Amino acid sequence: MKTIEWGFLIVNYLFLGGLSAGLFFVSALATFFYRIDEPSPYTRIARLGAFLAPWPVMIGCLLLIFDLGHWYRFYKLFLHLRLVSPMSIGSWLLVLFNLVALVNCYAWLTENQRSALFAKLPGALQFLGNLNYDLDHWRRRIAIVGLPISVGVGIYTGVLLGAVQSRPFWNTNLVAQLFLFSALSTGCAALILGLAGSKRTAQELRLLYGLDICFMVLEFFIVLPYLIHGELSVQAVQDSLKLILGGPFTILFWVLFMGLGLLTPLVIELRELVPVMVSNREFHYNRFVAAAAAVLILGGGFLLRYVFVFAGQMSAMQ
Amino acid sequence: MATRPKRYAMVVDSKKCLNCKACVVACRAENSVPLDYSRPWMNEETRGVWPRLMASSHPEQCHQCAHPACVRVCPTGASYHRPDGIVVVNQDDCVGCRYCMIACPYDARFFRQDKGVVEKCDFCVQRLGRGQVPACVETCPSKVRVFGDLNDPGSKLSELLSTREYRLKKPEAGTGPQIYYLI
Repeated sequence: MKTIEWGFLIVNYLFLGGLSAGLFFVSALATFFYRIDEPSPYTRIARLGAFLAPWPVMIGCLLLIFDLGHWYRFYKLFLHLRLVSPMSIGSWLLVLFNLVALVNCYAWLTENQRSALFAKLPGALQFLGNLNYDLDHWRRRIAIVGLPISVGVGIYTGVLLGAVQSRPFWNTNLVAQLFLFSALSTGCAALILGLAGSKRTAQELRLLYGLDICFMVLEFFIVLPYLIHGELSVQAVQDSLKLILGGPFTILFWVLFMGLGLLTPLVIELRELVPVMVSNREFHYNRFVAAAAAVLILGGGFLLRYVFVFAGQMSAMQ
Repeated sequence: MATRPKRYAMVVDSKKCLNCKACVVACRAENSVPLDYSRPWMNEETRGVWPRLMASSHPEQCHQCAHPACVRVCPTGASYHRPDGIVVVNQDDCVGCRYCMIACPYDARFFRQDKGVVEKCDFCVQRLGRGQVPACVETCPSKVRVFGDLNDPGSKLSELLSTREYRLKKPEAGTGPQIYYLI
Protein backbone atom coordinates (compact mmCIF):
# COMPACT_ATOMS: atom_id res chain seq x y z
CA MET A 1 0.00 0.00 0.00
CA LYS A 2 3.04 2.24 0.30
CA THR A 3 3.09 4.92 -2.38
CA ILE A 4 5.01 8.12 -3.02
CA GLU A 5 2.41 10.75 -2.29
CA TRP A 6 4.42 13.93 -2.33
CA GLY A 7 6.25 14.46 -5.60
CA PHE A 8 7.86 17.20 -7.64
CA LEU A 9 5.32 19.88 -6.80
CA ILE A 10 6.16 19.53 -3.12
CA VAL A 11 9.92 19.40 -3.79
CA ASN A 12 9.63 22.64 -5.76
CA TYR A 13 7.49 24.27 -3.12
CA LEU A 14 9.93 23.38 -0.34
CA PHE A 15 12.73 24.89 -2.39
CA LEU A 16 10.86 28.05 -3.42
CA GLY A 17 9.45 28.63 0.08
CA GLY A 18 12.94 28.29 1.56
CA LEU A 19 14.41 30.56 -1.13
CA SER A 20 11.93 33.33 -0.30
CA ALA A 21 12.49 32.89 3.43
CA GLY A 22 16.26 33.22 2.86
CA LEU A 23 15.88 36.27 0.61
CA PHE A 24 13.68 37.99 3.15
CA PHE A 25 15.94 37.05 6.05
CA VAL A 26 19.08 38.45 4.44
CA SER A 27 17.21 41.53 3.24
CA ALA A 28 15.82 42.13 6.75
CA LEU A 29 19.28 41.69 8.29
CA ALA A 30 20.68 44.27 5.87
CA THR A 31 17.79 46.59 6.70
CA PHE A 32 18.97 46.78 10.30
CA PHE A 33 22.31 48.18 9.20
CA TYR A 34 21.45 50.54 6.36
CA ARG A 35 20.95 54.27 6.75
CA ILE A 36 18.13 55.86 4.87
CA ASP A 37 20.12 58.90 3.68
CA GLU A 38 23.42 57.19 2.87
CA PRO A 39 24.13 54.77 0.07
CA SER A 40 25.72 51.69 1.62
CA PRO A 41 26.20 48.08 0.55
CA TYR A 42 23.39 47.16 2.91
CA THR A 43 20.92 49.25 0.94
CA ARG A 44 21.41 47.34 -2.29
CA ILE A 45 21.22 43.96 -0.53
CA ALA A 46 18.11 44.93 1.40
CA ARG A 47 16.39 46.36 -1.65
CA LEU A 48 17.17 43.48 -4.00
CA GLY A 49 16.16 40.94 -1.31
CA ALA A 50 12.91 42.77 -0.66
CA PHE A 51 12.13 42.92 -4.38
CA LEU A 52 12.83 39.22 -4.97
CA ALA A 53 11.41 37.68 -1.78
CA PRO A 54 7.63 37.56 -2.40
CA TRP A 55 7.63 35.82 -5.78
CA PRO A 56 9.17 32.36 -5.28
CA VAL A 57 7.00 31.63 -2.26
CA MET A 58 3.90 32.72 -4.15
CA ILE A 59 4.69 30.30 -6.96
CA GLY A 60 5.39 27.68 -4.26
CA CYS A 61 1.99 28.26 -2.67
CA LEU A 62 0.31 27.80 -6.04
CA LEU A 63 2.17 24.50 -6.46
CA LEU A 64 0.95 23.42 -3.02
CA ILE A 65 -2.62 24.26 -3.93
CA PHE A 66 -2.41 22.31 -7.18
CA ASP A 67 -1.01 19.33 -5.31
CA LEU A 68 -4.23 19.02 -3.30
CA GLY A 69 -6.95 16.54 -4.22
CA HIS A 70 -9.05 19.38 -5.67
CA TRP A 71 -7.26 22.70 -5.87
CA TYR A 72 -10.42 24.72 -5.20
CA ARG A 73 -10.80 23.17 -1.75
CA PHE A 74 -7.66 24.88 -0.41
CA TYR A 75 -9.80 27.48 1.40
CA LYS A 76 -10.77 24.79 3.89
CA LEU A 77 -7.23 25.01 5.26
CA PHE A 78 -8.12 28.50 6.45
CA LEU A 79 -11.36 27.53 8.14
CA HIS A 80 -9.31 25.78 10.84
CA LEU A 81 -6.22 26.43 12.91
CA ARG A 82 -4.86 23.24 14.43
CA LEU A 83 -1.78 23.90 16.51
CA VAL A 84 -0.87 20.19 16.62
CA SER A 85 -0.67 19.98 12.83
CA PRO A 86 2.53 21.41 11.29
CA MET A 87 0.70 21.81 8.00
CA SER A 88 -2.04 23.92 9.57
CA ILE A 89 0.48 26.19 11.28
CA GLY A 90 2.47 26.33 8.04
CA SER A 91 -0.53 27.35 5.93
CA TRP A 92 -1.22 30.33 8.16
CA LEU A 93 2.46 31.18 8.35
CA LEU A 94 2.66 31.24 4.56
CA VAL A 95 -0.25 33.65 4.29
CA LEU A 96 1.36 35.91 6.86
CA PHE A 97 4.75 35.69 5.17
CA ASN A 98 3.33 36.45 1.73
CA LEU A 99 1.66 39.56 3.08
CA VAL A 100 4.72 40.81 4.96
CA ALA A 101 7.01 40.08 2.00
CA LEU A 102 4.69 42.01 -0.33
CA VAL A 103 4.48 44.99 2.02
CA ASN A 104 8.25 44.90 2.42
CA CYS A 105 8.69 44.80 -1.35
CA TYR A 106 6.44 47.85 -1.64
CA ALA A 107 8.25 49.67 1.17
CA TRP A 108 11.53 49.39 -0.71
CA LEU A 109 10.23 50.96 -3.92
CA THR A 110 11.65 54.40 -4.58
CA GLU A 111 9.25 57.28 -5.01
CA ASN A 112 9.69 57.22 -8.79
CA GLN A 113 9.07 53.49 -8.93
CA ARG A 114 5.93 53.88 -6.84
CA SER A 115 4.60 56.65 -9.04
CA ALA A 116 5.36 54.63 -12.15
CA LEU A 117 3.57 51.63 -10.66
CA PHE A 118 0.44 53.53 -9.78
CA ALA A 119 0.44 55.34 -13.12
CA LYS A 120 0.19 51.97 -14.87
CA LEU A 121 -3.06 51.05 -13.10
CA PRO A 122 -6.02 50.64 -15.47
CA GLY A 123 -8.89 53.11 -15.19
CA ALA A 124 -11.11 50.99 -12.98
CA LEU A 125 -8.31 50.55 -10.43
CA GLN A 126 -7.20 54.17 -10.33
CA PHE A 127 -8.67 54.54 -6.83
CA LEU A 128 -5.76 52.36 -5.60
CA GLY A 129 -3.61 55.44 -6.20
CA ASN A 130 -4.70 56.50 -2.71
CA LEU A 131 -2.40 53.76 -1.40
CA ASN A 132 0.66 55.60 -2.67
CA TYR A 133 2.18 55.96 0.78
CA ASP A 134 5.81 56.47 1.55
CA LEU A 135 6.82 53.57 3.80
CA ASP A 136 10.57 54.36 3.88
CA HIS A 137 10.55 54.87 7.62
CA TRP A 138 8.68 51.64 8.20
CA ARG A 139 11.30 49.44 6.57
CA ARG A 140 13.04 48.60 9.81
CA ARG A 141 9.80 47.84 11.61
CA ILE A 142 8.64 45.59 8.77
CA ALA A 143 12.00 43.81 8.93
CA ILE A 144 11.64 43.26 12.68
CA VAL A 145 8.15 41.79 12.24
CA GLY A 146 9.10 39.78 9.17
CA LEU A 147 12.39 38.32 10.38
CA PRO A 148 10.85 35.75 12.78
CA ILE A 149 8.16 34.94 10.21
CA SER A 150 10.79 34.25 7.57
CA VAL A 151 12.68 32.01 10.00
CA GLY A 152 9.33 30.31 10.67
CA VAL A 153 8.75 29.65 6.97
CA GLY A 154 12.32 28.41 6.52
CA ILE A 155 12.17 26.06 9.47
CA TYR A 156 8.57 24.94 9.06
CA THR A 157 9.26 23.06 5.85
CA GLY A 158 11.64 20.86 7.82
CA VAL A 159 9.27 20.56 10.78
CA LEU A 160 6.58 19.38 8.36
CA LEU A 161 8.76 16.40 7.49
CA GLY A 162 10.45 15.94 10.86
CA ALA A 163 7.16 15.72 12.76
CA VAL A 164 6.28 12.43 11.07
CA GLN A 165 7.15 9.58 13.44
CA SER A 166 6.56 6.88 10.89
CA ARG A 167 9.28 8.02 8.46
CA PRO A 168 12.60 7.42 10.23
CA PHE A 169 14.55 9.31 7.56
CA TRP A 170 12.76 12.50 8.59
CA ASN A 171 11.97 11.99 12.22
CA THR A 172 14.67 14.17 13.77
CA ASN A 173 14.82 17.84 14.69
CA LEU A 174 17.98 18.15 12.58
CA VAL A 175 15.91 18.11 9.40
CA ALA A 176 14.22 21.36 10.41
CA GLN A 177 17.58 23.00 11.13
CA LEU A 178 19.10 21.62 7.95
CA PHE A 179 16.26 23.02 5.87
CA LEU A 180 16.48 26.38 7.62
CA PHE A 181 20.17 26.92 6.96
CA SER A 182 19.87 25.57 3.46
CA ALA A 183 17.01 28.06 2.90
CA LEU A 184 19.08 30.98 4.21
CA SER A 185 22.01 29.91 2.09
CA THR A 186 19.89 29.70 -1.08
CA GLY A 187 18.56 33.19 -0.29
CA CYS A 188 22.13 34.46 -0.07
CA ALA A 189 23.02 32.67 -3.29
CA ALA A 190 20.11 34.25 -5.17
CA LEU A 191 21.30 37.68 -4.02
CA ILE A 192 24.88 36.91 -5.03
CA LEU A 193 23.58 35.86 -8.43
CA GLY A 194 21.51 39.04 -8.69
CA LEU A 195 24.39 41.32 -7.71
CA ALA A 196 27.24 39.55 -9.51
CA GLY A 197 25.97 40.83 -12.85
CA SER A 198 26.13 44.51 -11.98
CA LYS A 199 29.26 46.59 -11.50
CA ARG A 200 30.75 47.96 -8.29
CA THR A 201 29.19 45.38 -6.02
CA ALA A 202 32.38 44.19 -4.34
CA GLN A 203 31.32 45.34 -0.89
CA GLU A 204 27.90 43.74 -1.21
CA LEU A 205 29.38 40.47 -2.38
CA ARG A 206 31.91 40.48 0.41
CA LEU A 207 29.11 40.76 2.96
CA LEU A 208 27.02 38.11 1.26
CA TYR A 209 29.99 35.74 0.98
CA GLY A 210 30.63 36.06 4.70
CA LEU A 211 27.01 35.39 5.56
CA ASP A 212 26.71 32.55 3.08
CA ILE A 213 29.85 30.87 4.41
CA CYS A 214 28.33 30.95 7.92
CA PHE A 215 25.11 29.36 6.65
CA MET A 216 26.89 26.67 4.64
CA VAL A 217 29.25 25.76 7.48
CA LEU A 218 26.24 25.43 9.78
CA GLU A 219 24.47 23.35 7.15
CA PHE A 220 27.50 21.08 6.84
CA PHE A 221 27.74 20.63 10.59
CA ILE A 222 24.07 19.66 10.71
CA VAL A 223 24.41 17.06 7.95
CA LEU A 224 27.29 15.41 9.83
CA PRO A 225 25.47 14.83 13.13
CA TYR A 226 22.36 13.86 11.17
CA LEU A 227 24.36 11.00 9.67
CA ILE A 228 26.32 10.10 12.80
CA HIS A 229 23.34 10.22 15.10
CA GLY A 230 21.28 8.27 12.59
CA GLU A 231 23.88 5.52 12.44
CA LEU A 232 23.87 5.33 16.25
CA SER A 233 20.08 5.22 16.39
CA VAL A 234 17.61 2.32 16.21
CA GLN A 235 17.56 -0.16 13.33
CA ALA A 236 14.75 1.60 11.45
CA VAL A 237 16.78 4.82 11.27
CA GLN A 238 19.94 2.97 10.25
CA ASP A 239 17.97 1.21 7.52
CA SER A 240 16.51 4.49 6.30
CA LEU A 241 19.99 6.03 6.06
CA LYS A 242 20.96 3.22 3.72
CA LEU A 243 18.95 5.10 1.10
CA ILE A 244 21.77 7.66 0.95
CA LEU A 245 24.56 5.36 2.11
CA GLY A 246 24.67 2.89 -0.77
CA GLY A 247 21.01 3.10 -1.75
CA PRO A 248 19.32 4.82 -4.71
CA PHE A 249 20.01 8.36 -3.48
CA THR A 250 23.71 7.93 -2.73
CA ILE A 251 25.11 9.73 -5.78
CA LEU A 252 22.48 12.45 -5.63
CA PHE A 253 23.22 13.10 -1.98
CA TRP A 254 26.97 12.76 -1.83
CA VAL A 255 28.18 13.85 -5.25
CA LEU A 256 25.54 16.31 -6.39
CA PHE A 257 24.30 17.77 -3.10
CA MET A 258 27.20 17.41 -0.70
CA GLY A 259 30.01 17.70 -3.26
CA LEU A 260 28.74 20.10 -5.91
CA GLY A 261 25.92 21.82 -4.03
CA LEU A 262 27.55 22.46 -0.67
CA LEU A 263 31.30 21.84 -0.40
CA THR A 264 32.33 23.19 -3.82
CA PRO A 265 30.60 26.57 -3.41
CA LEU A 266 31.84 26.70 0.18
CA VAL A 267 35.43 26.24 -1.01
CA ILE A 268 34.93 28.77 -3.81
CA GLU A 269 33.61 31.41 -1.42
CA LEU A 270 36.29 30.69 1.18
CA ARG A 271 38.92 30.91 -1.54
CA GLU A 272 37.61 34.35 -2.55
CA LEU A 273 37.10 35.74 0.93
CA VAL A 274 39.77 34.29 3.23
CA PRO A 275 42.86 35.86 1.55
CA VAL A 276 41.12 39.22 1.71
CA MET A 277 40.34 38.84 5.40
CA VAL A 278 43.81 37.57 6.27
CA SER A 279 45.84 40.19 4.39
CA ASN A 280 43.30 43.01 4.64
CA ARG A 281 43.51 43.56 0.90
CA GLU A 282 40.75 45.03 -1.14
CA PHE A 283 38.15 42.49 -2.22
CA HIS A 284 38.20 41.70 -5.93
CA TYR A 285 35.73 39.20 -7.13
CA ASN A 286 35.30 37.29 -10.32
CA ARG A 287 31.68 37.65 -11.30
CA PHE A 288 31.61 34.33 -13.15
CA VAL A 289 32.99 32.47 -10.17
CA ALA A 290 30.47 34.22 -7.92
CA ALA A 291 27.62 33.31 -10.26
CA ALA A 292 28.83 29.73 -10.56
CA ALA A 293 28.97 29.34 -6.77
CA ALA A 294 25.47 30.80 -6.47
CA VAL A 295 24.05 28.48 -9.12
CA LEU A 296 25.66 25.48 -7.40
CA ILE A 297 24.14 26.49 -4.06
CA LEU A 298 20.70 26.90 -5.59
CA GLY A 299 21.00 23.51 -7.28
CA GLY A 300 22.20 21.96 -4.03
CA GLY A 301 19.25 23.42 -2.12
CA PHE A 302 16.87 21.94 -4.63
CA LEU A 303 18.57 18.54 -4.55
CA LEU A 304 18.54 18.45 -0.76
CA ARG A 305 14.77 18.78 -0.82
CA TYR A 306 14.44 16.29 -3.64
CA VAL A 307 16.45 13.67 -1.74
CA PHE A 308 14.63 14.27 1.54
CA VAL A 309 11.12 14.25 0.08
CA PHE A 310 11.58 11.05 -1.90
CA ALA A 311 13.92 9.12 0.40
CA GLY A 312 11.78 10.04 3.40
CA GLN A 313 8.69 8.58 1.83
CA MET A 314 10.55 5.42 0.93
CA SER A 315 11.70 4.94 4.51
CA ALA A 316 9.41 3.12 6.91
CA MET A 317 9.40 1.36 10.25
CA GLN A 318 10.03 -2.34 9.91
CA MET B 1 -27.05 3.32 35.37
CA ALA B 2 -25.07 5.30 32.82
CA THR B 3 -23.90 3.26 29.88
CA ARG B 4 -20.18 2.71 29.70
CA PRO B 5 -18.51 4.46 26.73
CA LYS B 6 -17.60 2.03 24.01
CA ARG B 7 -14.03 1.45 22.83
CA TYR B 8 -14.09 -0.61 19.67
CA ALA B 9 -11.16 -2.82 18.75
CA MET B 10 -10.42 -5.98 16.79
CA VAL B 11 -8.68 -9.24 17.49
CA VAL B 12 -7.12 -11.08 14.54
CA ASP B 13 -6.25 -14.76 14.73
CA SER B 14 -3.98 -14.98 11.67
CA LYS B 15 -3.44 -18.73 12.02
CA LYS B 16 -7.03 -19.28 10.99
CA CYS B 17 -6.67 -17.14 7.87
CA LEU B 18 -7.15 -19.05 4.60
CA ASN B 19 -6.11 -16.07 2.50
CA CYS B 20 -9.41 -16.28 0.63
CA LYS B 21 -9.70 -12.47 0.63
CA ALA B 22 -13.46 -12.59 1.21
CA CYS B 23 -12.94 -9.74 3.70
CA VAL B 24 -11.46 -7.54 0.99
CA VAL B 25 -14.35 -8.28 -1.36
CA ALA B 26 -17.02 -7.78 1.30
CA CYS B 27 -15.47 -4.47 2.34
CA ARG B 28 -15.33 -3.31 -1.26
CA ALA B 29 -19.02 -4.11 -1.74
CA GLU B 30 -20.11 -2.59 1.56
CA ASN B 31 -18.14 0.65 1.23
CA SER B 32 -18.23 1.06 -2.57
CA VAL B 33 -14.43 0.93 -2.84
CA PRO B 34 -13.24 0.78 -6.48
CA LEU B 35 -11.06 -2.12 -7.61
CA ASP B 36 -7.87 -0.03 -7.59
CA TYR B 37 -8.01 0.45 -3.83
CA SER B 38 -8.62 -1.61 -0.74
CA ARG B 39 -9.28 -0.83 2.90
CA PRO B 40 -8.17 -4.17 4.40
CA TRP B 41 -5.24 -6.03 2.82
CA MET B 42 -3.24 -9.24 3.22
CA ASN B 43 0.40 -9.53 4.24
CA GLU B 44 1.56 -12.79 2.76
CA GLU B 45 4.77 -14.47 3.76
CA THR B 46 6.46 -17.68 2.68
CA ARG B 47 9.69 -19.10 4.08
CA GLY B 48 11.85 -22.13 3.43
CA VAL B 49 12.02 -24.64 0.60
CA TRP B 50 9.53 -27.44 -0.04
CA PRO B 51 8.85 -29.70 1.83
CA ARG B 52 10.12 -27.65 4.74
CA LEU B 53 8.30 -24.43 4.25
CA MET B 54 5.93 -22.08 5.94
CA ALA B 55 3.27 -19.86 4.41
CA SER B 56 1.26 -17.38 6.37
CA SER B 57 -1.13 -14.53 5.74
CA HIS B 58 -1.89 -11.70 8.13
CA PRO B 59 -4.89 -9.57 7.38
CA GLU B 60 -4.36 -5.93 8.16
CA GLN B 61 -6.32 -2.70 8.04
CA CYS B 62 -6.38 0.64 9.84
CA HIS B 63 -5.34 0.01 13.43
CA GLN B 64 -7.77 2.62 14.82
CA CYS B 65 -4.94 3.90 17.01
CA ALA B 66 -5.56 5.40 20.41
CA HIS B 67 -3.16 8.27 19.60
CA PRO B 68 -3.44 8.43 15.82
CA ALA B 69 -0.65 10.24 13.97
CA CYS B 70 -3.01 10.85 11.05
CA VAL B 71 -5.41 12.81 13.24
CA ARG B 72 -2.60 14.86 14.74
CA VAL B 73 -1.15 15.99 11.43
CA CYS B 74 -4.44 16.66 9.63
CA PRO B 75 -4.53 20.40 8.91
CA THR B 76 -8.30 20.72 8.75
CA GLY B 77 -9.48 18.24 11.38
CA ALA B 78 -11.08 16.11 8.64
CA SER B 79 -9.48 13.04 10.23
CA TYR B 80 -10.83 12.71 13.71
CA HIS B 81 -11.13 10.29 16.59
CA ARG B 82 -14.65 9.32 17.56
CA PRO B 83 -15.44 8.84 21.26
CA ASP B 84 -15.86 5.10 20.58
CA GLY B 85 -12.23 4.93 19.39
CA ILE B 86 -12.82 4.73 15.65
CA VAL B 87 -10.72 7.04 13.46
CA VAL B 88 -12.75 8.42 10.58
CA VAL B 89 -12.29 10.88 7.71
CA ASN B 90 -14.89 13.56 7.15
CA GLN B 91 -14.72 13.76 3.36
CA ASP B 92 -16.26 17.23 3.29
CA ASP B 93 -13.33 18.68 5.21
CA CYS B 94 -10.55 16.64 3.55
CA VAL B 95 -8.48 18.78 1.17
CA GLY B 96 -6.48 15.84 -0.16
CA CYS B 97 -3.05 16.99 1.08
CA ARG B 98 -2.16 13.34 1.93
CA TYR B 99 -0.14 14.31 5.00
CA CYS B 100 -2.10 11.68 6.97
CA MET B 101 -1.03 8.97 4.52
CA ILE B 102 2.59 9.91 5.04
CA ALA B 103 2.16 10.02 8.82
CA CYS B 104 0.43 6.62 9.10
CA PRO B 105 3.00 4.01 10.22
CA TYR B 106 0.81 1.25 8.75
CA ASP B 107 0.19 2.83 5.33
CA ALA B 108 -3.47 2.08 5.97
CA ARG B 109 -4.83 5.02 4.02
CA PHE B 110 -5.24 5.59 0.31
CA PHE B 111 -5.96 8.55 -1.93
CA ARG B 112 -9.09 8.37 -4.05
CA GLN B 113 -8.02 10.05 -7.27
CA ASP B 114 -11.64 10.25 -8.43
CA LYS B 115 -12.87 12.02 -5.30
CA GLY B 116 -9.68 13.87 -4.38
CA VAL B 117 -9.92 12.72 -0.77
CA VAL B 118 -8.29 10.17 1.51
CA GLU B 119 -10.11 7.02 2.63
CA LYS B 120 -9.51 4.27 5.15
CA CYS B 121 -11.18 1.52 7.15
CA ASP B 122 -13.67 2.90 9.63
CA PHE B 123 -14.93 -0.42 11.05
CA CYS B 124 -18.03 0.10 8.83
CA VAL B 125 -19.51 2.77 11.10
CA GLN B 126 -22.71 2.72 9.07
CA ARG B 127 -23.21 -0.96 9.97
CA LEU B 128 -22.38 -0.43 13.64
CA GLY B 129 -25.19 2.11 13.74
CA ARG B 130 -27.57 -0.66 12.65
CA GLY B 131 -26.26 -3.01 15.31
CA GLN B 132 -24.21 -5.06 12.82
CA VAL B 133 -20.53 -5.96 12.89
CA PRO B 134 -18.09 -4.74 10.17
CA ALA B 135 -18.50 -6.45 6.78
CA CYS B 136 -15.06 -8.11 6.92
CA VAL B 137 -15.89 -9.67 10.30
CA GLU B 138 -19.27 -10.94 9.19
CA THR B 139 -18.07 -12.48 5.95
CA CYS B 140 -14.91 -14.23 7.19
CA PRO B 141 -15.50 -17.99 6.73
CA SER B 142 -12.91 -19.03 9.31
CA LYS B 143 -13.72 -16.36 11.90
CA VAL B 144 -10.27 -14.79 11.84
CA ARG B 145 -11.53 -11.41 13.01
CA VAL B 146 -13.32 -10.80 16.29
CA PHE B 147 -14.79 -7.34 16.67
CA GLY B 148 -15.98 -5.92 19.96
CA ASP B 149 -15.94 -3.41 22.75
CA LEU B 150 -12.82 -3.30 24.95
CA ASN B 151 -14.84 -1.72 27.72
CA ASP B 152 -17.29 -4.62 27.83
CA PRO B 153 -15.71 -7.33 30.00
CA GLY B 154 -18.28 -9.84 28.77
CA SER B 155 -17.39 -9.44 25.08
CA LYS B 156 -15.68 -12.22 23.15
CA LEU B 157 -12.94 -9.73 22.36
CA SER B 158 -12.22 -9.01 26.04
CA GLU B 159 -12.24 -12.72 26.78
CA LEU B 160 -9.67 -13.44 24.07
CA LEU B 161 -7.44 -10.58 25.18
CA SER B 162 -7.44 -11.74 28.79
CA THR B 163 -6.88 -15.43 28.04
CA ARG B 164 -4.62 -15.42 24.99
CA GLU B 165 -1.23 -13.95 24.18
CA TYR B 166 -1.21 -11.31 21.49
CA ARG B 167 1.08 -8.87 19.77
CA LEU B 168 0.64 -5.42 18.32
CA LYS B 169 2.20 -4.24 15.08
CA LYS B 170 4.80 -1.45 15.34
CA PRO B 171 3.93 -0.43 18.90
CA GLU B 172 7.17 1.58 18.86
CA ALA B 173 5.44 4.09 16.58
CA GLY B 174 3.69 5.24 19.73
CA THR B 175 0.27 5.51 18.17
CA GLY B 176 -1.44 2.90 20.37
CA PRO B 177 -2.73 0.48 17.70
CA GLN B 178 -5.98 -1.36 18.44
CA ILE B 179 -5.72 -4.41 16.19
CA TYR B 180 -4.58 -7.28 18.39
CA TYR B 181 -2.90 -10.24 16.68
CA LEU B 182 -3.24 -13.50 18.61
CA ILE B 183 -0.07 -15.53 18.87
